Amino acid sequence: MRPYLLQGHERPITVVKYNHDGDLLFSASKDQVPCIWRVENGERIGTFHGHKGTIWDLDPDRFSNHLLTASADATVKMWSCETGELLKTFVHRGPVRGVAWSDDNKLFASISDPFVEHNAKISVFDSRDGEGIDGETIEPVLEIDVPKENNKRVQMTNIWWTYLNEHLLVAFDNGLIRLYDPNTGDIEDEFRAHEKKINRLQMNREKTMFITSSADFTSKLYDAVNLKHLKTYTTDRPVNDAVISETKDHILLGGGQEAMSVTTTSGKVGKFETRFFWLVYEEEFGTVKGHFGPINAIAINPNGRNYASGAEDGYVRLHMFDKSYLDMKDPVPEAEESSVDDDADAE
Amino acid sequence: MADDAAAQRQAEIEAETEDLYNDGYFSDTSLDLNPRYPKLKESFETAIVVLNLPKVPEAKVGKLTKVVMKIISRLGNLASNEDTGFTGFVMPFNAEAGATEGFAICEYETPEEAQNAVEVLNNYKFDKNHMLVVTPYTRAKKLNDLEEKEFVEPERKPFVEKPNAMSWLEDPSQRDEFVIRQGNETVVSWFDGKADPVVDYDGEREKEAGVNWCEYYCHWSPKGSYLATLVPARGVILWSGSTYEKVGRFVAPDVKNVLFSPQENYMLTNNMRYDDEQAIKVYNIQTGKLLRAFPLFPNNIERKEDVPPPPFQWSHDDAYLARMGKDLISIYSTPSMGLLDKKSLLAEGIHEFQWSPKANILALWSPEQKNSPAHVDLIELPTRKKLRQKNLFNVTNCSMVWQNDGDYLAVKVTRHTKSKKTFYNNIELFRLNETGIPVEMLDMKDAVMSLVWEPRGSRFAMIHAENPSSTKVDVSFYDMMKKSESTGGKKGKKSAPKQTTIVPELNKVETLSGKQCNCLFWSPAGSTILLASLGDSASGTLEFYNVDNKSLTVKEHYRSNQVLWDPDGRSVATCVSQPVEGGHFKFAMDNGYILWSFQGKQLYQQSFENFYQFQWRPRAKLLSKPEIEKVRKDLKKYEKQFEKADKERARAQYLEETKGKRLQRKKIRDIISDLRKLRREQKARHVEMLDGYDSEDESNYVVREVSIETILSTKEEVVN
Repeated sequence: MRPYLLQGHERPITVVKYNHDGDLLFSASKDQVPCIWRVENGERIGTFHGHKGTIWDLDPDRFSNHLLTASADATVKMWSCETGELLKTFVHRGPVRGVAWSDDNKLFASISDPFVEHNAKISVFDSRDGEGIDGETIEPVLEIDVPKENNKRVQMTNIWWTYLNEHLLVAFDNGLIRLYDPNTGDIEDEFRAHEKKINRLQMNREKTMFITSSADFTSKLYDAVNLKHLKTYTTDRPVNDAVISETKDHILLGGGQEAMSVTTTSGKVGKFETRFFWLVYEEEFGTVKGHFGPINAIAINPNGRNYASGAEDGYVRLHMFDKSYLDMKDPVPEAEESSVDDDADAE
Repeated sequence: MADDAAAQRQAEIEAETEDLYNDGYFSDTSLDLNPRYPKLKESFETAIVVLNLPKVPEAKVGKLTKVVMKIISRLGNLASNEDTGFTGFVMPFNAEAGATEGFAICEYETPEEAQNAVEVLNNYKFDKNHMLVVTPYTRAKKLNDLEEKEFVEPERKPFVEKPNAMSWLEDPSQRDEFVIRQGNETVVSWFDGKADPVVDYDGEREKEAGVNWCEYYCHWSPKGSYLATLVPARGVILWSGSTYEKVGRFVAPDVKNVLFSPQENYMLTNNMRYDDEQAIKVYNIQTGKLLRAFPLFPNNIERKEDVPPPPFQWSHDDAYLARMGKDLISIYSTPSMGLLDKKSLLAEGIHEFQWSPKANILALWSPEQKNSPAHVDLIELPTRKKLRQKNLFNVTNCSMVWQNDGDYLAVKVTRHTKSKKTFYNNIELFRLNETGIPVEMLDMKDAVMSLVWEPRGSRFAMIHAENPSSTKVDVSFYDMMKKSESTGGKKGKKSAPKQTTIVPELNKVETLSGKQCNCLFWSPAGSTILLASLGDSASGTLEFYNVDNKSLTVKEHYRSNQVLWDPDGRSVATCVSQPVEGGHFKFAMDNGYILWSFQGKQLYQQSFENFYQFQWRPRAKLLSKPEIEKVRKDLKKYEKQFEKADKERARAQYLEETKGKRLQRKKIRDIISDLRKLRREQKARHVEMLDGYDSEDESNYVVREVSIETILSTKEEVVN
């Protein structure tokens, strides 16, 4: 499997994401310029200029019309995917960690870090507000203040809307996961998933399951409807990102030695590799090497034919799966009864 | 006057005293401080009772006494005492009946003499009608004191079915079994020659009860019916049946080894203790009864600490148990364990003997003596007929090797030249399956290190080299039978089609030269031989050689010290083991075993910290040679059948192994399908949210064909 090496960023990659159709790949890094790539051939289609800080997160909408980017310059910007034109800027009170379109593609939610006297905040904006004029201030529809806990400021790391915009699903750096009501801002549910920081939370396409990646070397799979813990995948390095395959019962984990200690470790020891796990058996069955820094972001194409990983080394590697992988069967034979089909795509 | 009277009185007393002195009432000699009394015997061990003597009238008592005295005094010194007139022999006379009582008591000087007399005289034929019964006095006394009770028939014990000792042979996939001793574990495993071994029994029942089912070595019985485990504190325990139930326990303190009889009727235990008069015990396996006990060395052999005791050997049919003594072989017949015909087999100067594996024939050799040459004898039992004797000259040493069907006997003779400085070998080959037992001699200039017969075959292999200490040796194969191709009929007549006849003629098959090995191991199935270089200083080279198709595979198991073929020649184990008692640290490295196929393919490997023993479970060979040939011929037919069964078994096993995983998968699949169901129910609302856009609605897609032309390069050419 020879990957496309996507060289478009100059600083560590923070996030990679496919659009809904799986033909475009978005990537963001600390170099302030998100990129858009054609998945088919790994060609860069365009860039989005305008941010003045690290891009922490991005989210294209359902129809790949608008792209939202969340930046450390305390803004969320909405862009036209087709032209790369900046449409609107949503000003926050602190660096924005995450952004997510709602299921109806009208609202979006963002999370901002605590900054000076401000606490961490969850904001819900209506993308239709504002005129797109320079310098205008667009007020959020809802702002949820996340107060200090035990005199310590809390940070959120990821935000998602659950199916039908029922809740806002937020991951915290202390291992907590919370559900907020997107209309009232009330906490609906809360539980501790990890002992350490949750680096990323990713839902599958149907939003039936989500997977967390934590600095405690594990990833956990949850039932998104009943919030039930299903599986745990254990490695020997911090996990930065994990994703559920849409077409197979596989989990892809990315991570490695922490970025701060990377200079003292070789690529071999750092284990900067994508690990493939059986979703059901929690066993690792393969790895893909290549990066020479910890993998920060990982994404799998909804059609299951390729996956992308972005790392601290500033590269995005786009891997087209071999036939042998695509033909791979579950190692456990079916019993007498015929096998259950599990290749149906979402929606 | 008074003075006179007093003086007279004094004189009288003096005279009286004088008399007393003279009478000897007083003595000047001082008292003996350590008077020497005759030794008081506190036991009756020196006395024996001779029963079943004829009852004779007074007139004949003297004659009878004389005859009996003659017999008993031959066996030792009677404890006669001249002072008391005791002759050491008492024969009570019943005055009322006017005849002797028919028994006598006699006393020897030492208990050993008495014991010997009991052994020798018991059942001695005194005359036509009287067979003597001799018992030690102590036992006779005990019997005399015994209360007479009415005989009550012992209650019949309810029949308890013993576990089926053959159950393992009924294994549907004909697997072999082996046992290993490792650390504190004793584990019996199945091995089918392909997949990894499967544990059959590891003593879990005993572990639960907090005991160890084996604390020393363990041994299979010769037909594989029993597993004997040695627990030195208690003795030998036999296990049998599919669940390894305890079927027998035999008391044998400090037991070091056991020797089963070939038909599994008897068992001999040995604790190797020089000071124990009952070091060796013979038990009946079925009844658990002790039949007889022996000291480690026969009575008449000189005990030396550095010479190992002569071993007992069972005959092939369990009929006899034999042991070598000085100038004789003691042959005990079962089940009485008495000497066969009450006398040992005399064999002047005997050095070694061996039973034939398939007949009651003994092969023995004795070195040169005064004026008789060294000789190898074949003696048939119980007739004691000498079947064959072969005299040999200038012999330094001999070693005898039987072929396992008893068809041939090879005697490796090491001979010296007159000067006794140089040695050379020759091999005497006896054909027992032919009348007259012809002997052939094979001269070898080299030193022969090892000679082994092909099991059930007519071939043998040997390691030889010019110099016994050289590292490179030659391995030669010989056949006792020669295939000769003769044209039918006599010369001159019209040539008939070629006929292959097999004639009994020794011929050399081939020599493999420059090999590195010190041991040879034929496969029990024949044809394949493993040339191994075993031991600490050796290289551990293993060469699997097929004599018939000349294929050779070279492998290695470093430091291996044992090679063990399974009973049917399918696989072979090589081990690095150490003695249970521990010993030198050098033994403790690389412990473990490897299983190979007979072609030299490594099948399985396992290492242990302390590995003591590996033993295949033997199985009786039930098929005759022609039957085996038939099976070989029809192999293809069986092959398919077995392969199919193998596949099915592998699949079933895999299904079984992954049962848990399938369950997990089912659980997850159920969850996922439930969630999907929920999403389908919610779909309408989702479509509504997207302003009526339905991703599954085909009308939302527009199929367009787009052709993109890309100019890769342009080149201008001038056309003339």
